[in-house]
Order: sequence, then structure tokens, then C-alpha cells
Amino acid sequence: MLYLLLIFFPVTMALSTFVLRRRTSLVIFAALGTVLAQMLLATQIPLDDPTRFLGVTLTLNALNRVFMLLFLATGGFALVAAWHLPHGENFVPIALFTIAQVCAVLLLQNPFITTLLLAATGLTAVLAIVDLPAGASTLVGTRAIAAALKYLVLMVVACVLMYIAFVLTDIYRPGELPGRISPSRFILALLGVSFALRLALIPFHTWLTDLVDDAEPLVAALIITLLNTTSLLVLIFTFQSFPSLLLESEGAIGVMRVGALFSTVIGAGLALGAATLRRTLAYLILYNCGMVFYGLASVTTLGLAGAIFGALNQIIAVTLIFVSLALLERPDGRTPGVLRRDLLRRWPVASAGLLAGGLALLGLPPLNGAISHLLLYQAAAERGWAELGLLVLGTGLAGLGLARAVGERLLGPAEETVAAEPLLIGETELDRPTQRRLEPEPRSTAALTGILLLLCLAIGLYPQPLLGTIAEALRGLAFIRAL
Amino acid sequence: MGINWFLIAIGLTAAVVLLFRDWRITIPALLLNYVTIALFLAEQRFVAPDISLFGLEISTLVLVKLCTGVAVTLILAITALTFSREYGLENLDEFGLAELRRAARAAQRQRATAPFQLSDYVVPFWAGVLALMASLALPRIYPIGPSVAIDFAWYWLALTGVLTIATAGDVLKIGLGLLLCASAIDLLYTAVVSTPEASGLNVFPLALLSLFNILLALAVAYLAGLLYGRLKTLELNELYRR
Repeated sequence: MLYLLLIFFPVTMALSTFVLRRRTSLVIFAALGTVLAQMLLATQIPLDDPTRFLGVTLTLNALNRVFMLLFLATGGFALVAAWHLPHGENFVPIALFTIAQVCAVLLLQNPFITTLLLAATGLTAVLAIVDLPAGASTLVGTRAIAAALKYLVLMVVACVLMYIAFVLTDIYRPGELPGRISPSRFILALLGVSFALRLALIPFHTWLTDLVDDAEPLVAALIITLLNTTSLLVLIFTFQSFPSLLLESEGAIGVMRVGALFSTVIGAGLALGAATLRRTLAYLILYNCGMVFYGLASVTTLGLAGAIFGALNQIIAVTLIFVSLALLERPDGRTPGVLRRDLLRRWPVASAGLLAGGLALLGLPPLNGAISHLLLYQAAAERGWAELGLLVLGTGLAGLGLARAVGERLLGPAEETVAAEPLLIGETELDRPTQRRLEPEPRSTAALTGILLLLCLAIGLYPQPLLGTIAEALRGLAFIRAL
Repeated sequence: MGINWFLIAIGLTAAVVLLFRDWRITIPALLLNYVTIALFLAEQRFVAPDISLFGLEISTLVLVKLCTGVAVTLILAITALTFSREYGLENLDEFGLAELRRAARAAQRQRATAPFQLSDYVVPFWAGVLALMASLALPRIYPIGPSVAIDFAWYWLALTGVLTIATAGDVLKIGLGLLLCASAIDLLYTAVVSTPEASGLNVFPLALLSLFNILLALAVAYLAGLLYGRLKTLELNELYRR
């Protein structure tokens, strides 16, 4: 019953909030209540206690529960942020519907259903990308439509490849058919490309850069945090369910590792030359995705711990970055359409959030990414200095990219204020145009940014509880022991 | 070996979707494709027949696939017929309305100056030839399904789907390509997982596959509606021009 509630309660609430979508405050309150109820339900479900429903197994393990709670918390943060930040008319119902789909993916143990649900999350995300605020006086941007179309096509292609791979795993018996292309390699290749598409690894990344460029920041945050990380968990579940794929494909794992290194270094290099702040952030996220995937492809306990912890940190850092970005892009009372360079002076909390989020993605202490990066470096060092060197090179380039963006947009001198001229003869104060009033940072969103920033610091300074949970979860992963 | 007419029909209808640009031809071809896939499944008997329809013994699965095909085709056909649907015009300011008028004029000009050109069909034709060669070769090089016919059918559907997406000139054509790909995995799943050495068909993935097809068609229809509402055309070159 609890399993079904976790899946269908947000669906019903999504439908209700869709009907009431024009009453923003009420809808956000209802959605927050739903998220809190979901968190309570998730904590009530016994771990590793499978149940059958219409021939399908539903279960929740420790790792999935941690991520489910984090996804729900992220959804909650996004909903609170939606109070003051621009979002589409249907943002809240879409967010709830996505949460329901993600919960279903984490609970269901059937690879075919999981694949189709992942594809369905892609379709839901398309609606969010082209969503306009209620009563908007503008048309949907052509770039947003193009981004949505690209996302749709790539996610369906990923689903097709993943589905073919799972059909093959269903009939594949290890060691069969000597002399032919190894089925395990073929399956791993299909899975590699499909998950590379979903996780936005270079060169399958273009949807992510378009998404960050053209979608509302909250939508981008929701898609990157919830959907990408869910895909990563599905990949871990796949390896856990079919360990023979890895056992028979030592070379293919090497190729995956090289792909991850390539994605890390190229993503970081592109961040260095990005033209806009949004592009820089997109490439920093790509760099981080490469790092996380490297940990998974290293197929060691250290690497996998680093990947899982990295994915967890990525969720928090990306949410922080996009909430801060949305705040920084809000009109602040100054002339619109002018590139601002003094954002840290103007809106310090949002700027600090953006900077901290970027640094967390780079793995700089004392922020949350530091320990996960350390684990990943250790995993790379076990493979040799070349791989470690490439990861460090990637981090260095990404750091330079972030420093350039911060220097250009955050740390510039304050805009000069025009000195008041003396009154002319016959002129009174009333004849003058009213003084321009600069908007302060919205308190609730600034507080939210502050909370996320503190969370990054807290995890960075005291990672032991999370590391303990991850170590416990890793003990349950048989494929790591088998390798 | 007898000729499998349903297989040929699957091949031909998918080829029509790949080759032609006019939705009046491609959408009926997609419907025929769904019908022939359903008949092909009924003939191969992956699932034991459990209902009798007009004296024909078929399984519920075949009927579900037929209904899915009809629903998907209807969604796309209605979308194509109602391109003139406008979205949220009442909220637009003068600038938005002016932009729409400009887009309508540009689309009108494009339609007037775009006569039939044989060169438009060269790339899809050779892509189709390539897909045909690959679909004939792959079942021998890498057989997956229980028979060559099954392997040819799903390889052909997947390849024509991907090539339709690659050569598409408008949003609806992209949708048709995606739906062909979805049909390919549907056929592969039904044929392979129902074999004795596999885990066996489960009703949930089958139902979700049908639902996914319909949702995909709806998503494509929604994007097509938005694009038409914005640019007064479904052409992709107009979308990427701005």
C-alpha cells in the first residue's frame, strides 16, 4: 500500500494542482505538503522487503531511499524557490508528476518498466521546457521549442537503445555463441550510449547545454538533478542485476572509463571558453557528470563510493547554482538588457550561492564535493597516474573557467551612481523623475540559497554519516565484490 | 520458403514514411504500418489467441496494438489537420502579434516558392537503400529474434525510424520516426521475451509501451502546435533559422 501511495499520491496531487494552477500560493502549499507526506512515506517503507503487485516486484534499498529523500527535498526546495522565481504556469504539477515517476523508477525492479518510465520522465520534462508563465505576454521562444524537441528525440533514442539492451540481457546466457561479437559487449555498448545520452556525457551532451541556455533555471535544475541522477541509479541497478556484463567485458569498461575522462576534460575545457554565464555553468555540470561517471566506470569500491557521493553532491550543488542563477537574473530595478559585472556587491547571497555551487562541483574543500572528488582521485590513482592526471587537469581547467566567469560577472566594480545635479532655476523636486529604487534580494529565496549553501558546507565538514550510508549500500552491491 | 506478405507490407509502409514529406501520405502509411505489425504478430502467434473477431482467432495483445496504432495515428492526423490552432493569443501584446504576422507572411512565402523537387527525395532514398541493406545483413550477422523475419522487421523499423528522424524536414516527420523506433522495440520485446528461454511477457511493460506510444504522439502534437503557433509552419529549417 505504501509503495502505491508513494507513486500515485503525487500523481493525484499533480492533477489537482493542474486544475488549480492559477492560484500559485495555494498550489505551492499543496505541493509542499505532498512532498513532506512523500518523505514521511519513504521513511516508513521497510528496507529490502520486496512485495509483488500484478507480477511486478517493488522494493526499496538503502541507497535508493537516501536518493529518494534527497529528490523529494530537492523538489521541495524547487517549489519554495518557485514562490519568487520565474517559472511556468504548469511547473508545480509537472514537478509533482516527475517526482511520482522518479519514485516509481526507484521502487520498481523491472528493467523494461524502468526504461519506459525513464522515457516518460523525458516526455514530462519536455512540457516543462516549453512552459510559459501564466498570462505571459510573450510567445514561447523558438530556442526553447528547439531545446525541447532535441531533448525529446535524444531521450526517446536513449530509451530505444536501453530497451534493446534489456531485451538482449533477457535472453543472454554468459559464455554462449563463441566466435560471434560478444553479446555482453554489444549490450554494454548499447547501455553505454543510452546512459551517456541520459547523463549528458560528451559528445552526447548537447541537450544539456541547450536546456541550461533556454529553459527556466528551476526547470533545468529539476531535470538535471532528478532525472540524470535517477538514470545513474538505474545504471547501478543494471550492473547489480547483470554482473556478468562487466565480468565478460574488461575492455568495454576501459572504453567507458576513457569516455568519462574525455567528457571530464573536454567539458572543463569548454567551460574555459564559454561565452555566457549559463554556458559556463552548463559545462561545469558536464565536467562533474564526467567525474561521477568515471567513478562508476572504474568499477571499484572507492570509485563507486565517489560516484554515488558525487551524484548526491551534484544534486545539492546544481540546485544551489540554479536557484542562485534565477535570483541573479531577476530584474533588480536597473536598466534591463545590460550585462552586469557587480553581482556580488548587488546581490551577495545569490552570488555567494552561485560561487559556492561552482566550487562544490569542482570539489574544493570545505564544500561537499571535496570528499567525493578525493575518492574519485584515489580510484583514478589505482588505475595509474595518467588517469589521475587527466582528472586533475579537468578540475584545473574547470576551476579556471569558473574563475573567469566569476571575475567577469560577480567581482566587477560597482556601477557608478549618477550624482544628483543641482536644481535648475524654476525647477522643483517634483519636476524631476522619481528616484530609481533598487530591489533587494527576495528574503525567502535568499534564505533558501543560504540553507543550501550551509548544507554544502555541513556535508563538506562532516561527511561521515553519508559516507557510512554509502558504504553500507555498497556492501549490498554484489557486482563490486565479484569484480 | 513462402513469401511473408505482412513483412513486405511492414517494409513498404515504413519506407513510405521515410521517403515522403507530405503528411497526407506518411500518416496513413504509419496507420498501415501499425495494422500490418498487428497482423504480423497475429500470424506469428507469440501469444496464444484468446478472442475471436469476425471469425479470426487473435490474442488481446494484437487488438491492443491495433488500438494503440489507431490512437497514435488519430492524434497525429488531427494535429496535422488543425495546424491553424492558436495558443494564448489573448494575452499577447502588440509586439507578439506583429511577430506572428511576420511569421505567417514568411511561411506563406516559403509555401509559395517551394515547388516539388526530386532532389528533396535523394537523401531519404539512399538512406532507405542503406537501411534495407543493413536490415538484410544484420539478421544473418547478429540474429536476436526467434526467426529471420522478426529480425528483419525490427531492424528495418528501427533503422528507418532513425533515418526518418535524421532526414526529417518538419516536426511531424520527426514524430513519425520516433514512433517507428518505438514500434521496433515493441516488436522486438513481444517476439523475443515470449520465447521459452526468455523470462516471458509481462502485461505491465506491454501496457506501458502502448501508453508510451500514445504519450509520445501527444508530445509531438503539442510541440507541433507550439511551433505552428509561433512560426506558422512546422518546418525545422525555420525553427533553427532564428
